[in-house]
Amino acid sequence: MVKKRWTIHERVFLVLIVVVLVLGTLNVAKARGWLIPEMDNIIIEEGTIYLDSLSLEQKIAQMVIVHGGQWNLKPWKDLQVGGIHLFALEKSELYLEIIGKFQSGMQIPFFVTADYEGCLNPFANFINSTVASEINSVGDAFEKGSIDGELLHSLGFNINFAPVVDLNDEIWGCRSFPGDEENVAKLAEAYALGLQSNDVIATAKHYPGKTLVAKDPHKNIVFAYISDADVLPYEYLIEKDDIASVMVSHIITTGTIDSLGIPAVVSSEVIMPLKKDFSGLIISDEINMLGLKNFYPSIDDMYIAVFKAGNDLVLNFNEDPNEIYRMIIIIKKAVLAGEIPLSQIDTSVKKILELKGFSVE
Amino acid sequence: MLKDKLLVALNFSLVIIAGFLLLSLFDVTISPTGRAVYDPSEMVCVVNFKDNYNLWEDIDGCCLEVRKQLSCVRDKGYYTDKTVEWKCSTGELNYWLSDEAYNYCKEQVIW
Repeated sequence: MVKKRWTIHERVFLVLIVVVLVLGTLNVAKARGWLIPEMDNIIIEEGTIYLDSLSLEQKIAQMVIVHGGQWNLKPWKDLQVGGIHLFALEKSELYLEIIGKFQSGMQIPFFVTADYEGCLNPFANFINSTVASEINSVGDAFEKGSIDGELLHSLGFNINFAPVVDLNDEIWGCRSFPGDEENVAKLAEAYALGLQSNDVIATAKHYPGKTLVAKDPHKNIVFAYISDADVLPYEYLIEKDDIASVMVSHIITTGTIDSLGIPAVVSSEVIMPLKKDFSGLIISDEINMLGLKNFYPSIDDMYIAVFKAGNDLVLNFNEDPNEIYRMIIIIKKAVLAGEIPLSQIDTSVKKILELKGFSVE
Repeated sequence: MLKDKLLVALNFSLVIIAGFLLLSLFDVTISPTGRAVYDPSEMVCVVNFKDNYNLWEDIDGCCLEVRKQLSCVRDKGYYTDKTVEWKCSTGELNYWLSDEAYNYCKEQVIW
């Protein structure tokens, strides 16, 4: 029997095929987030979490809310991110199924968030909702909050990015409560109380106001003058301790709240004074906006600025889990370098874990 | 001889493919030659709730809201002197986008 001798070209071909297959597999694994290292288990004793037992990466991950696409189920669970945000789906059963999959086996449950306002209604395919602009009395606002809260709670949501307390909705015409700033404040208060009576956290947005009227000739950067009236609903809700979280916008503001030429969401001049008066969660609006990115030489600088400004929860709906992990590592390095105080991260994480029902020491 | 030539060509192709896969694995990006440049004046986003139609100038904000909708379909419409070609909606809330705006949105990392 004659043994076949492989030519050099055949040998190279075989080696290259193997290399391409291995690299292809690695690329697929990377794209699906399978190469992201799984975080360690957390020590929880009788509902108490010892903050020092969490790694810095775990703490930072708790401060991030991502889009809860099912295709990223594994990486989001491995990363132990703080929350998932869900977009519109066709039927209620899908929400129950997806949220169930995400929460299953998690030591620290996810915040599950929605933009359920009324005319912004991700559930519109299976349920109608009263729009905020048609609410005229405190009783109706409380009832809407209760009904919305009951639905959200039954589907598995625990944070709603509502009520909108911006005045004068000139774009949608339906997102703001009617009337002057005092009326808006009282209706928002009633709505928030109704929502929170069903164990769903209410979020007043978008601080410091004017997100529904701002016009921008340059498309990507939005400027607005903030008056005392714009801020009044926030002051009212915070003073009465009626709201558990506030969402901060990307608008560059002047006037009563001056963001000093940078978007409010990265302005410590906007967020730090708010934190002095308000002990609830400060949530950033979604951060992948070009107007925000354009302010920084690199996206890494933007990430650092968003965390450094004092946001407790950061919304990043980037669909690439590797990028979310990269953001966590960048923030970790910034904390280790002293650029972001560890105490600030700890304070935010403590708030988050307490709102998730844990004692934190 | 023919077989050798074929193998050389295949090996060369595989080296190129392996190179690209390696670059992709280590996030090395090649300069975006050929990427579309969007003219902001051509990017139109119109918000429509019931009988209310308004232009929304914040295209990035619009992209985010559009991403949250249940579906986007091709459907021609007009807003003053502007033409919109995409309708993205959930229930009674619709976002009408021009082709430029829709293609721009689809390129964003949130999509």
